[in-house]
Amino acid sequence: MIIKNLSVRFGAFTAVDDVTLEIPDGGVVGLVGESGSGKSSLARAVCGLVPHTGSVEGARRVQMVFQDPYASLNPRMTVGRTIAEGAGPKEVERLLGLVRLPAELAGRYPRELSGGQRQRVAIARALGGNPGLLVADEITSSLDVSVQGAVLNLVRGLRDELGLTMLFISHNLAVVRYVADVVAVMHHGRLVEVGPTEQVVGEPAHEYTRALLAAVPRLRG
Amino acid sequence: MTGWSRRNAPGVAGAVIVAAMAVLAVVGPPIWGDEAVRIDAAAILQGASPGHPLGTDNLGRDLLARVLVAGRYSLLLALAATAIGAVAGIVLGTLPSVLPRRAARLATGTVNALVAFPGLLLAMFTAVVTGLGARGAVLGIGAAIAPGFARLTQTLAATVANADYVSAARMLGVPRRRILTRHVLPNIAEPLILNLTQALGGALLGLAGMSFLGLGVQPPDFDWGRLLFDGFPRIYVTPEVALGPAAAVALAGIGFNLLGDALARAAARTSVVRERTPAPPVADGAGEPDPGAVLEVRDLTVTFPGGVTPVRQLSLTVAPGEIVGLVGESGSGKSLTAAAIGGLVPYPGTVTYAALRLGGRDVATLSDKELGTALAMVFQDPLAALNPALKVGGQLAEVAIVHEGADRAEARRRAVDRLGHVHLPEPERRARQHPHELSGGMRQRAVIAMGLMGTPRLIVADEPTTALDVTVQRQILRLLREVVEETGAATLFISHDIAVVGELCDRVVVMYAGRVVEELPAGRLADGAAHPYTKALIASLPDLDTDRSTPLAGIAGTQPAPGQIGLGCAFAPRCPLATARCESERPELVAHGPGQRVACWEVK
Amino acid sequence: MTRRLGVRRLVRFAVSLGVLMVVSFAMIHLIPGDPVRAALGPAAPLELVEARRAALGLDRPLPEQLLTYVTGVVTGDFGTSFLTGEPVGEVIASRLPNTLSLALLATAVALLIAVPLGMWAAVRTENGRNRGTELGFSATTGTAVAVPEFLYAIALVTVFAIALGWFPPAGKAGPLTYVLPVLALSLGPAAMIARISRVETLRELAKDYVRLARAKRLPAARLHLRHVLPNTLTATLTVGGLLLTSLIAGGVLVEYVFAWPGLGLKIVESITQKDYPVAQGVILVYGALVLVVNLAVDLVLGALDPTSAIKEA
Repeated sequence: MIIKNLSVRFGAFTAVDDVTLEIPDGGVVGLVGESGSGKSSLARAVCGLVPHTGSVEGARRVQMVFQDPYASLNPRMTVGRTIAEGAGPKEVERLLGLVRLPAELAGRYPRELSGGQRQRVAIARALGGNPGLLVADEITSSLDVSVQGAVLNLVRGLRDELGLTMLFISHNLAVVRYVADVVAVMHHGRLVEVGPTEQVVGEPAHEYTRALLAAVPRLRG
Repeated sequence: MTGWSRRNAPGVAGAVIVAAMAVLAVVGPPIWGDEAVRIDAAAILQGASPGHPLGTDNLGRDLLARVLVAGRYSLLLALAATAIGAVAGIVLGTLPSVLPRRAARLATGTVNALVAFPGLLLAMFTAVVTGLGARGAVLGIGAAIAPGFARLTQTLAATVANADYVSAARMLGVPRRRILTRHVLPNIAEPLILNLTQALGGALLGLAGMSFLGLGVQPPDFDWGRLLFDGFPRIYVTPEVALGPAAAVALAGIGFNLLGDALARAAARTSVVRERTPAPPVADGAGEPDPGAVLEVRDLTVTFPGGVTPVRQLSLTVAPGEIVGLVGESGSGKSLTAAAIGGLVPYPGTVTYAALRLGGRDVATLSDKELGTALAMVFQDPLAALNPALKVGGQLAEVAIVHEGADRAEARRRAVDRLGHVHLPEPERRARQHPHELSGGMRQRAVIAMGLMGTPRLIVADEPTTALDVTVQRQILRLLREVVEETGAATLFISHDIAVVGELCDRVVVMYAGRVVEELPAGRLADGAAHPYTKALIASLPDLDTDRSTPLAGIAGTQPAPGQIGLGCAFAPRCPLATARCESERPELVAHGPGQRVACWEVK
Repeated sequence: MTRRLGVRRLVRFAVSLGVLMVVSFAMIHLIPGDPVRAALGPAAPLELVEARRAALGLDRPLPEQLLTYVTGVVTGDFGTSFLTGEPVGEVIASRLPNTLSLALLATAVALLIAVPLGMWAAVRTENGRNRGTELGFSATTGTAVAVPEFLYAIALVTVFAIALGWFPPAGKAGPLTYVLPVLALSLGPAAMIARISRVETLRELAKDYVRLARAKRLPAARLHLRHVLPNTLTATLTVGGLLLTSLIAGGVLVEYVFAWPGLGLKIVESITQKDYPVAQGVILVYGALVLVVNLAVDLVLGALDPTSAIKEA
């Protein structure tokens, strides 16, 4: 699928400025940028949640997983009903299995789950829509590190098992690098660099990408 | 009285009053109905007497009976008005979400304009149009209630309609009607029902007011307001004749209000149980001050009522010019440790320690002036940490004015100088601005500059870069290092991000479930960490060199809540190395190589 | 506040005022049947009704009537009273100051009592300490809020005017006559503002800038008055504005109890006696007052709140 000349404007402010980006079938494209770079607006535009100009071609059944797993599940619906809404009640157990959650959780309410569990439920719900494209917007940034690792592993596992096509958005370059085949760097509403992950991380072409890379804190200096 | 019944006493009183009103409405007319309309020419316009406790009216009818009977009519009218108002309001409030954009804006504008008009004014307008009488008053009060309901419906619906779970449902192709019935309505029903209780009370008072003015219920019907209308001219001679209806109206108003309040509070309440527990005994063994430490913490414990102890016997020291990183995941107690050191643990938390010394002196013996200038704190969100109503320069200058008796001009000069010192461009201009006019990084610089107004000996920075972008984070970390080197202040840097801590700090203290599990030089983090939790934390963090072909390490399970920590090692349930001993016996922090201490039975 | 915002508010005000005029004009036409007949009663001779209709211009086409009405209102001509023949404009002009002075005094009294009381309660009950104070405060204010102003008025008259004789029971003659009406009008709102002030103060006390100020060991008075108070004012003033408008309306009942020669007493008389031109004029003035107060609150808030420009954008 391909995003073509997509722009998002809020009044006089241009959040996303003429972005063109290809997302190959079965591939994971990582979108990295700082706050205000327009990456979340781009995600919402691709999902049809904000008005935009330009087109998104070849993406049938787009589903999204949101940043805050506390706000993205209806507090008055059980896990089972939430997942069944898109996939039907028969699929609940299989989908819970896919995200490595026990089937007993279907009867629970979101408030009874931990942050990591909620995020898995949100992923299961999205998978229930049989997505041609899954948009993951900062899905690990409200999780603790020890939980984040497991969710990232899950994302990679799902992609290998199901051949998911994904747009994976994060402010964390290390996280994007871990899950994505292609990295797109966004700055002030524009894409400043797009390329294979190792190339963008290893030999950044754009100055902004270099600044971003230099700023990533490292344990092994 | 127990805590529960004391807290809920107003709500219970409200419920009892409302229930009593309902009972009166049912049984009042059958019991006292005849007496209320029995005309007695011999007892016209009497005051209180044994036969007529509240006196009689101009036809000699017993006023007490009339008050008791009027309850039903008063309540029914209020119910009718509330129903009209609620239905009209909810419909009006839903319109903007179903109408096309222009019409929706018009509907919103109308509601906004109507909300501003006092109910009584709308009611009078209706009364003019429909003429005097109960019908006009009910319609009028209904019209007065409607805008409030419309506004509430509108805001609630707008909030819920923008919720992520509604977006998710829409993307799944859930039909509109189903989204409305399953996602929107259940989540706005509760506040609407709450509002209904309050609106009912308001309608009752409004109708009483209209009738009291002679604009509502007309004879031969009577409600409480009408009885008050009749009794009011007589209060000079026999005030008791107004007492009955006045008390009834007041009681009804109070009942509905207290009940509504209690319901609202119950709906908003998250934590309920909060029983007092005796504070743990003060630990002894303060020992002699450590001459090499600016900050010395020994056996620091923070307890909340109910046996919840988020920080347990924590000890650490920070030397001058040293940056110690306190790292842990959410719920590990790291931020409460910072708060305890700054004396900021919120009530009802209790802080105990064997020693909490700043520069060798117990903090309890330090004056406000000494602490206020020697301790600098930096918080996560710099926008929240600056007062939005005051200019940046004034907030900085305050420290010098309050603690050092500097005059305004001198304090101001110093503030501008400090702002420049933290590399804030154009410090003169920035000092005259409000916090919202600065960027996130600039705000954090201003907060750090505030700490430099005194002569900081200890800097406590609680997640100071978590809310910032990585490029800004880098600048702030550099600034912190620079400030520490220049002032020689001891620094405690609290973070969830072990990579940031590893990069900035000299020494790292790892916390888990309220305790220190490992302490080591930052340089040894990558290769020398010994505790299984520290190791897992490092392994689960992807960096730019992580092998992409292998899964990241994770830690199964979750950190126990502060109230559910057992006797043994708190990490044991998630630990791959755990043995039976770990479950039952807690390992102490013991030396493990140079500058390193570990609390683990399995580390040899 | 930016100039553009101010202009936008002014435009909104003007539009609302226009709508209000049309609505008050429509009021007479919404009355079922013939308002003149309704006012004069079924026994009135037909010629009198016709003459009155002609005098009011009710026999002309609607647009023409509206135009006449609007021109009249703009030039201060609100018609004449059915009952007394007095020009409605003069009636309003003589009574408006009495109503306004009552509402303004009551608002001031309510704010002066309530804001410090609410702040004090918040500081005392922060994080759930002093449960006794919290309970007492919420029960007292919860009760005081729920009692309508006319009951306060009746109770005050009964006790302080009739039983004790300290104050005159009715009428307007000198400062003493203000005491009871102003009290009756301000007690309920004071309780309401005290609660809001407490909640707002609690909200501010929980913020990081307060923690930082506490870490700097600022004296309590400075912390509460210089740091917390300004941040609670926005909410308090918004409510204060709403309050002033509701006090203008609540004044109707209080004026009635105290036979206070204001607009409220007049409107009750005019509705009861079907004196439509007076009712129409007074309601229009009440509505305009509400709009003016809201505009003023908006402008003042905009000037006070340094972030309002950003919020709007």
